Parts: sequence; C-alpha cells; structure tokens
Amino acid sequence: MRCFWNMTRISELIPVQNSFSHTSTLATMAPQETPFQIAIPAEQIALLRKKLELTVLPDELEDAGREYGASLSDIRRLVTRWKDGYDWRKHEAQLNTELPQFTTDIEIDGFGTLNVHYVHKRSDVVDAIPLLFVHGWPGSFLEVRHILPLLTESSPKHPSFHVVAFSLPGYGFSEAPKKKGFELTQYAELGNKLMTALGYNEYVTQDGCWGHLVSEYYHPNNRCKLRGEHSNAWHTNAPMAPPPHPISRPLLFLNHLIFGYTPKEKAGFERSLWFRNKGNGYYHEQSTQPQTLGYGLTDSPVGLLAWIYEKLVNWTDDYPWDDDEVLTWISIYWFSRAGPAASVRIYFEVNKAYPNLLEGATSKTTIPMGYSYFPKEIVKLPKRWLRAPNLVFESDHTSGGHFAAHEKPKELVDDLRKMFGKGGPAFGVVHGRSGYDPQSRL
Amino acid sequence: MVSTENPFKINVPDEKLELLKKKLELTTFSDELEGAGREYGVPLTDIRRLTARWRDGYEWRKHEALLNAELPQFTRDIEVDGFGTLNVHYVHKKSEVVDAIPLLFVHGWPGSFIEVRHILPLLTEASSDHPSFHVVALGLPGFGFSEAPTKKGFEIRQYAELANKLMLSLGYNEYVTQGGDWGYAITKLMAVNYGQKHSKAWHTNYPIATAPTLKDRPLAYLINLVSKLTPEEKAGLERTAWFFGLGHGYSAEQSTQPQTLGYALTDSPVGLLAWIYEKLVNWTDNYPWDDDEVLTWISIYWFSRAGPAASLRIYFEANKAKPNMFLTPLPSKIPAGHSYFPKEIFKFPKRWSNTPNLVFESDHDSGGHFAAHEKPGELVGDLRKMFGKGGPAFGVVPGKTGYA
Repeated sequence: MRCFWNMTRISELIPVQNSFSHTSTLATMAPQETPFQIAIPAEQIALLRKKLELTVLPDELEDAGREYGASLSDIRRLVTRWKDGYDWRKHEAQLNTELPQFTTDIEIDGFGTLNVHYVHKRSDVVDAIPLLFVHGWPGSFLEVRHILPLLTESSPKHPSFHVVAFSLPGYGFSEAPKKKGFELTQYAELGNKLMTALGYNEYVTQDGCWGHLVSEYYHPNNRCKLRGEHSNAWHTNAPMAPPPHPISRPLLFLNHLIFGYTPKEKAGFERSLWFRNKGNGYYHEQSTQPQTLGYGLTDSPVGLLAWIYEKLVNWTDDYPWDDDEVLTWISIYWFSRAGPAASVRIYFEVNKAYPNLLEGATSKTTIPMGYSYFPKEIVKLPKRWLRAPNLVFESDHTSGGHFAAHEKPKELVDDLRKMFGKGGPAFGVVHGRSGYDPQSRL
Repeated sequence: MVSTENPFKINVPDEKLELLKKKLELTTFSDELEGAGREYGVPLTDIRRLTARWRDGYEWRKHEALLNAELPQFTRDIEVDGFGTLNVHYVHKKSEVVDAIPLLFVHGWPGSFIEVRHILPLLTEASSDHPSFHVVALGLPGFGFSEAPTKKGFEIRQYAELANKLMLSLGYNEYVTQGGDWGYAITKLMAVNYGQKHSKAWHTNYPIATAPTLKDRPLAYLINLVSKLTPEEKAGLERTAWFFGLGHGYSAEQSTQPQTLGYALTDSPVGLLAWIYEKLVNWTDNYPWDDDEVLTWISIYWFSRAGPAASLRIYFEANKAKPNMFLTPLPSKIPAGHSYFPKEIFKFPKRWSNTPNLVFESDHDSGGHFAAHEKPGELVGDLRKMFGKGGPAFGVVPGKTGYA
C-alpha cells in the first residue's frame, strides 16, 4: 500500500536521536522562554483582501457534488466570507489568549539554527507528564487547541500533562529550513532538542499519523535500541503497518488466509482503498514537484483554500466545520512565516530519503505504544496487522477521523488519560512525573 | 453537403486583459531551497522572469493577431449523444491540391490547437515530390476556444465521436488522423469505432506499448527474453521510469480531484504558468523556448473559453471510464504509423509494440513530447513518407492521394 506523508513518524525517531546526541542535549533547567504573539502585519491582511477581491472561480460540472474535488458552492461561500465578514484580528486575538506561544532557536546538524514557534502550557500539577504533540499536513499548532485545556487540567481522577506543541519548520510561525534534505531525522532531532531545552529530559509523544515504518528504515540493522532515553512512550491516532506477507510477516499472512475480516475491518479497507485510488493525488504532486505546486498555493488564496479544505472535509467524520473555523485554519497557512509552499516540501524530502517506506518494514520500536482507532482515519488497517509486542494500549471509537485532536478532543484525551493514568499500561513511564499531585497518590 | 463554415477570430475582451494585468501585479512568489535547480519543480528564476515579462512587455494582442493571421479558424456546433450540442473551435486549412489527404490533428494536455501552427504550412504545401493534406486541427472541448461539456462523463468515446462528426460535417467522409498525448487515445479509439468506414489510417508520435507476456504475445515475449536492451532502449525505459516516478503527480491529482486543483489554476496566472511550464521544459528535448512563445501557449489556457479547470477533467473522466486505457491496445483494423522521439515521456523498446497493422515506423535522435511543435519538419517528413507515393499507406483515402 502506498504510503503517504502525514507527519510524525518523528515521534518514533526521537528516542533514536537520543542515542546519538544525548550528550549534547543535556539540559537541566527550563530556559527563559521567549513569548510570542501572532501579529500579522496590516499590509499582509490588506494584500489578502485585494487578492480575494480579484478571485476568479472556475465553473463546475452539473451534479458534481464532491466527486471531482472541493465543491464550488462551498468554495464560493468561503471566499465570500473570507473577503467580507471573516475577522482575522478577532481570531488572532483568540489564539493568542488560548495558546501560550513562544519561539526559540534550535540548532540542527547540517542546517544551522532554526527559529521554532511552539505552544507550551504547563499543568498546575508539578509532576504532570511532559507531552510533545506533533501536528501534520495540512494541520498546524492549531490542532492542539481543543485538547490543551483537557490535557493540562488537574484532577485526582486522571493524570495531567505539561504540553508542548511545536510548529514544524516550514509551518505556522516556525522558520523553514533553507537547504535541501530536511527530513524525518531532522524533524525528530528538532522535537527532541526542543523538549530537552525546555527541561523535559523525558517525555511522551502524541501524533496523528504513520507507524513504525520510518524508524525501521532509519535503523535497518536495528543498531539502535529504542530505550526511550528521552521519549518514553508514544501514542498515535493514525497507526500503520505493512500488510501480511509470506516472507516478512508469515504468521500474519497465514492468519489473513484463514480468517476473514469483520464488517468494520472491511469498511476500513474500503476507506483505505478510497484514499489510495482517489485521495492521494496531492501526495504524488507534493512528493515529486512541490515547488511547481507551491506557486499557485502561495499566490492564490482560493487555490490554497480549496487544496486544504478538500482534506478538512474528506478526512473528517462529518465534522461540522464552521466557516470561520475553516478560514482560521487556512489563514495560518496563508499568513505562515515561510509561506504555504514550504509546508509541502516535507513530502519530497521524506519520499526521497525513504523511497520504499512502506515495503516490508516491521516495527522495532520497543517503547510502550498506544493506538486510538477512529473510523474515518484515511488508512484503516485491521488491528491484527497492527499488533506488536510493545503495543500496550488500544482504544476504539465509533466516530471521528484523521484530525482526531480537533474532532474528538475528549475521546483522544480520555485515551491518553487511560494509557498514562493510574492502573494504565504506561503509568509512571516518565520517572518522577506520574501526572498526579503527590497528595493524590494512594 | 458541407454547410458553411463560421469563421472565428480570437478576440479576448479588454476586461480580461486588464484583470490578468492586475493579478500579475499582485503576484506573491514563494521562496526556493538553496541549490534546488529543477529537482523540486519549476525554478524560481524562470517563474520570476516569465511573470515579469507577462506583466510588462508581453503583448497578447500582437500574438493574437499572429495566430489569427496564420491559422484559419472556425466554430461549429456538434451534437454529442447524451451531451447536447457543443460549439467546437477548430483550425481548417485546405491545400491547393484538390485531392489532398484530409488529416485530423488532435492535441492533448497541456497542449491546444496552437500545436498545429508549425506543421500546418508544411502539411498543406503542394509539391510533386510529396503528398499534401487538408488539415483540420480541432480544439478539444474544454480547451482553447471550444465549449466545454457541462455534464459528467464526457470521456474518450465522446471526444472520438465529436472529432469524427466534425470531419464528416466538413465533407471529409474519409480521413486520416495524427495525434499525441490525449490525441493518441482519441485517435486510437476512432481507429476502432470509425475505422475503415471513416478513419482510414492513424499516426501517432506517442506510441504506447507494454512488455509482452507469455500469455498475450508468446513469440514477442521469447524474443524479448533473449534480447539485450540497446543503450537507446535503456535510456527510453529510464525516461519512462522517471515519468512514472517523479513526473506523474499532475496526472494523479487531475485524475482524482480536478476541481480542487482547478481553483488555483483559474485564479492564479503564476500558478497556471508554473503548472504548465514545468511540462514544456521537462517533456521537450532542450527545446529553446522563447519567453513570449511560452506566454502565448499559457495565455491560451488563461483566456480559454471554459477556463483552465475544464481542461483537467479529461483525466478524471477517462480514468473513471477506463483506468489504464492508455496501456490497453485496441483491435483496430486500419494501418497505423509510429514516430519515435527520444524525449517522449513513454519510451519502450520497439519490439514491445502491440499496435495492430503497424505499417510505418520512424526513429529520430532528437525531439520530445510536443513533436509537432518541436520537430515539425521531421514529423511532417514522416507523414509524407507514410502516405506518399511508395509509402505503406499511400492512397489509403480513395481518390485523395495527396498529389495533383
């Protein structure tokens, strides 16, 4: 099955990075943080408006629905709202109020220093579990918005977390790399360095994509045992694994031949096939000619809107998007520090660095791992394909899609609380940071 | 008999020119990675230069006038089953030779009727040394100044039906075809659906083949097993692999979500420019594009009757109706001809060819995908050989040998 880059196999690489570079990342105290507030210059808002006023829309075939792409009526309505009515300053202020943001310089081997934008919110619980949240494409730091208050909330009934959600380089308000070759290794290095720079020598991660495959390719000889010197556990809502295969996964292959699949699993296959046959054109272009695509996304607000909005609809489970909610999401791309073209380069770099990403890799991560299953995730595989010795937590949901943190914040946070809370399979995985106040320990 | 033709002159309204200029003036450029070259897509320097020229210096009216002077154009309503009437734009030039061979030229994407420009004078030229042709170059529905279908499902069968009806309506009951890219697919189907009765022979510069298997072509399979690839064949397969590996993203998107892509191409001149220009460079054989030549090519898309988004839908419709249709040989009974250009995006060893009734083949050592534009002399030379006296398809249209 063709793989798609959707961010964050970074989480898997982070512990690996440690093995190489932990001596340089020893940090003792949380450093002085440089606060950041989003403040888009007035000229940029004015230019957006001028461009929107000159928007030319295509026609559409009769009864096209969504079969040919983002529907004209949706796009027309959204453009009209973006031009007249949508108030960026209001949403900018809300983001600044809700999300405590900072920037810091992180040095990346071979790439110099990158200025990284991130959200950082500590729980009142001193021993809260440090958690790194990693977004993907076409997401951003915004995706932490709904889960942030729930994660940091303190209660004797569930663990709480100190949360760091960074903007990947080239996204949101993080600087983009200038050189070729910035791929998963670099993103992982950056995430790890950020956490350790903030004083979180050990932490857990949550992300929304991919499986163990990248770490497998990163360590073809399994030369790095992932002891979790820094990243101690890992949770994802987008698990993936290679399919049953007579040589690389023989037992699973036998199982596949003998036992059938449940209706839910079959629905999952159909979803995965839909994605493969109809839904990954963007992936092909972004992983081969990102610069060509980037000109249109940079120059045309409606072009960018449609390119992303199609995913916001197709990848979610009938999520009731509010127009302003969509426009804020897209505006972050439009107003991003590096521009929208920078955000698609990761597909190229990863595809180039790991051309056979999905073929034959089996997991060799050893840190505790948790999966949350949402029915409208874009690649849905049978659970028995995903099982691994270190898979300690699984949770099923009857609704929800790819942007789980945004669509189903409560469900996702509940899963994390169960996984990391008292009695949970990953309780106490970060030494000295159980997620509870000392008084609340039994 | 033949109804009167409706002459057409390209005459883009002033407001469209003004809007283009306004948009160009507001262009926002992306950055580019250090040392990116062409590896990530179209280089920023090219795009900046072309955009600046398009904005200041490029004169659409001058090029519009040249096109109108060089290419006799017309429009005609053609009825297509299930789709009503479409108003079709086409170029039509008759040779002085009364019995010239009627030839239909069919373009593809990202081409247009403009691709007939360089070959038109050569094809219609009268001479005792070579045959000449009456040429019809149709603008596919949704491209150039042809109307686009408004209903879903307009796929290769409909393009073929429309093209055949156009020729018949012009009094060309029997004709030959030349096509590349989508023109290949359309003329291939015409060879089957209208072959012998109307389409008498077909020539392509985009010959597709598949590796023979023991089951479908045992002899070819065995020959292939024992043959070593020549350096040219190896290079051709590498080119094909490059295309499928790194050059195919546009097709994946256009075949699945053409509407989504269409918004950017309709709204952003530079977005459209980059999307097409990348092909003009990557698919040609170091063709020395002149900036104004590129901008005229792109402007036809920008100013097209149906807008650029309509031109993408052929990918979706064809793929939906028949996935892999390019690779499927069809049981045509009419003579076929191939011209092989080294930088075509698919290149296969000739022994893999499974085109029925292949009577003509011609190799070239330079040239790419847009053969009629890049190598007009060579392409027309091939057609003259195929259809001329002593050629394998001489006299294929009864009474129209191409000679006085």
